[in-house]
Amino acid sequence: MKHLIIRIISLAFLVLGMQAQAMEVVELKQANSNKVVFKVRFANGSVSDPAGKQGLTYATASLMSQGGAGGVSYADIQDILHPWAAGYGAAVDKQVTTFTFQVPAVFVDEFYPILKNVLLAPDFTDKDFSRVMKNQQNYVDQVVRASSDEDYSKFALEHQLFRGGNMQHLRQGTSEAVKGISLEDIRSHYQNAFTRHNVSIGIAGNYNDALLETFKADMAKLSEKAFTPVTPSKANTPAGIEVEIIAKEGAFGSAIFTGAPLAITRADDEFAALMIANSWMGEHRKSYSRLYQKIRQARSMNYGDYSYIEWYSRGGSNQLPPSGVPRSSNYWSIWIRPVQIATQLKSQYEELADINIGHAHFALRMAIREFDQLIKDGMDAEQFEATKTFLRSYTKLYAQSPAQQLGWLMDSGFYGRKDYLAELDTLLENVTLEQVNAAIRKHWQTENMYITIVTDVSEAKPLADALINNTPSPMSYSNLVKSGLSADVLAEDEAVANYKLNVKKVSIVDSADTFY
Amino acid sequence: MNKFFKPIIFGWLSLALGSAAIAGTDSKQSEKILPYPIYQHRLANGLNVVTVPFDSPGLVSFHIVTRVGARNEVEPGVTGFAHFFEHMMFRGTDKYSKEEYSAALKSTGAAANANTTQDRTNYHMTGNAEKLELMFELESDRFMNLKYSEHEFKTEAGAVKGEYTKNFASPYSQINEKRAETAFTTHTYSHTTMGYFKDIVDMPNQFEYSKKFFDRYYRPEYNTILVVGDVKPEKVNALAKKYFGAWERGSYESVVPVEPEQTETRYTHLQNGSIPAYLSMSYKGPAFSDTAIDMPALDVLASIVFSDTSELAKKLVIEEQKIRFIGGGAFDSRDPNLFTIQASMVEKDDMPYVMGEIEKAIAKVKTEGVDEALLERTKSNLKYGFAMGIDNPSAIASSLSHYIQLTGDPESINRLYALYDTITVDDLKKIANKYFVPEHLTIATISEDEQGALK
Repeated sequence: MKHLIIRIISLAFLVLGMQAQAMEVVELKQANSNKVVFKVRFANGSVSDPAGKQGLTYATASLMSQGGAGGVSYADIQDILHPWAAGYGAAVDKQVTTFTFQVPAVFVDEFYPILKNVLLAPDFTDKDFSRVMKNQQNYVDQVVRASSDEDYSKFALEHQLFRGGNMQHLRQGTSEAVKGISLEDIRSHYQNAFTRHNVSIGIAGNYNDALLETFKADMAKLSEKAFTPVTPSKANTPAGIEVEIIAKEGAFGSAIFTGAPLAITRADDEFAALMIANSWMGEHRKSYSRLYQKIRQARSMNYGDYSYIEWYSRGGSNQLPPSGVPRSSNYWSIWIRPVQIATQLKSQYEELADINIGHAHFALRMAIREFDQLIKDGMDAEQFEATKTFLRSYTKLYAQSPAQQLGWLMDSGFYGRKDYLAELDTLLENVTLEQVNAAIRKHWQTENMYITIVTDVSEAKPLADALINNTPSPMSYSNLVKSGLSADVLAEDEAVANYKLNVKKVSIVDSADTFY
Repeated sequence: MNKFFKPIIFGWLSLALGSAAIAGTDSKQSEKILPYPIYQHRLANGLNVVTVPFDSPGLVSFHIVTRVGARNEVEPGVTGFAHFFEHMMFRGTDKYSKEEYSAALKSTGAAANANTTQDRTNYHMTGNAEKLELMFELESDRFMNLKYSEHEFKTEAGAVKGEYTKNFASPYSQINEKRAETAFTTHTYSHTTMGYFKDIVDMPNQFEYSKKFFDRYYRPEYNTILVVGDVKPEKVNALAKKYFGAWERGSYESVVPVEPEQTETRYTHLQNGSIPAYLSMSYKGPAFSDTAIDMPALDVLASIVFSDTSELAKKLVIEEQKIRFIGGGAFDSRDPNLFTIQASMVEKDDMPYVMGEIEKAIAKVKTEGVDEALLERTKSNLKYGFAMGIDNPSAIASSLSHYIQLTGDPESINRLYALYDTITVDDLKKIANKYFVPEHLTIATISEDEQGALK
């Protein structure tokens, strides 16, 4: 796919260099652009929250990006930006916090002082603090449990995987810790964790060199305090499969995430090999991946089924992976979108009146069995070539806009790379089937993993019993669908229904008790 | 971050004989909001083919906008069918079984998907410009020759149920459903694009209807092809003729019932204490038009009165901190739809006060209008916001497909932004008096209480 030229970024405009003060600067000058995008990234993230102050990094970044700065109130800043349609925001992930600013090029000189004040002179007023913290508190108390069972199960899986470590808590913190965050904590964290020593900056679009120099010089004026990098905790490996079932009143289905530690990241060349296997097995939102075809397409058990070898932000809305969420502490995972529960199926089909669990157990068995088969048999040459060709084209779509291009370049630096997407293409070009199958065997196993299921209260206990006892879980089709199933599908169903999972522990957690 | 397009700005409310060249002129291009020429070419069978060349070396975005959505679901028992049919479009043809279709799609290396709204279904792929012919071939085959078995049809219905199941977790999805069926008694906007759950459960029984549905709407006159990126119109037009030239015109005309005028305020409420109490006020608004001032004026008014830079937001969100969020806007659609104002409460008991403040803000526009300078700043915001957003083929195509669904003509985007420029304070006063009347209001609330607090 050498003619697919989204690589314009790397050929024509990219200048990447380490500055004297060791601040990483990524430049992406695009003379035809009508705007300027700035990114300021701090290597802190929620892992740098002090003990007992989970959510402090999020609160600090929120107050910087949603509060007054340089003595100008937040409302007045918004008024200034409004006619330009300029804007900015902060995104906090586990290991980094990224501020992104965007402005039409014709207003960049007037806009820049606002950027400078947001980063160097946040006002941190009581009034702004009160507003921002109410929202953060509400998120950890209510929103995370109520808005999407899929995201709920995803965050809850991380809570299991990283239990006891600094990667465990939600980026927004815990209910108790957020209550205890003071404005003084934020002022202090701003000085300690948003410093000239842990910052990287990037600029893209139609800007001039003088502006860039000013930007660099200003960001060197961030807090001078020494920043000690925080090592992110590693994912735990359970002894066997450990399941947490979160019982929620009024859930309509069972939302499932499962995962286990993964030793490699984008920093490792081997990651490209595993990426091919993962794409074949469960490329995000793609109908041509194996899990999707087995669980959704042949059996229509849910809306989709995918697998991941790194954190994928907002998978419900993103079709392509976003930048700004680089992580060195990694795990792989399977996302099974909500499947039907017994009470729903019974109410829909008379012929299913006698079932006592819905489709969660079967779907889990099917997904894990698919992984087991891949680990055992590997990919074949045809699958390998088709997937490699696909990825070499598809990954070039990750960075289409200037902001995306800048984001991916800055993430490259996090992994010790210069231009990850360009390097990835070379890695994909050169990887062999043998390397892919070796990576599968080396990095994937299903004997020891965590599973999180958010489901209705009525489903929790019967499902827990079935999982711990490895009870057969025949697929409960409606007669409408069952009558047309092929012999192959039915035979496979039989094998799946009786497939043994190495389940060693199943606990039921009340929804109110999650994310402590 | 700032939002860029009208479809995105208001996206949070919902959830897009012989051939003759129609347009494609460079004249006055510099005055148009879209700084690139739009080339349109209609095939003999009525299929409109739109090309917008854009400097994105090696990259194209290819859309087919099918102007059928939940709006067309006029028969009883088939709500959600347009969306369901979008799923069926991935189920194969005689030439490509669903497995072969998936493999061929994978070989394009494109980001491909589809989605359905009230007024349209949009099929899109973004990828390698060298694969454009393959994209045309795959799309023409399924648009003209879709073929699936009854079993495939029944099976796919389960995926739609899965989609409903994932969405249902959000109380906001549930209130959207209640609001639609309360505000509309007759028009098909009374149901959401997903459809009623009972109809979704019954979908496997609608195989015969699905064939009728395909025969009615998957016809050239209901569709527009749109290609944006590293491509010339001559190439797109030639591919369109080659792959879609034999597509036969249909004859079906969808008759959507007209909603009678609403005569009193209506209420609906969802009892749910798992999220902050929520208030929405929906007034009956106009259909989209790129010639009448109503919709552009309402867009500008929405930004001035209900956006996060509005006086209302400054008072209620930033100063008094009675609400977490406020927003409002008219929903662009082919038939008259709703202008909805939404607020997320800090304390549920403040809901009557917040509604009173919203009504005061509306009354002020009705009698006093708005500050002239603020109106100019808002026009500027709309213009620059759009200009910054169109930085890649996919974004441009998504924006154009929104206007194609509404009028069939991508030039609507240029006409709409030209209308924004003409809006006066007087227009805003008139429009506020015309649309914000209690007889046309539907109030939808969520709180832990059994009854809504505002009735």
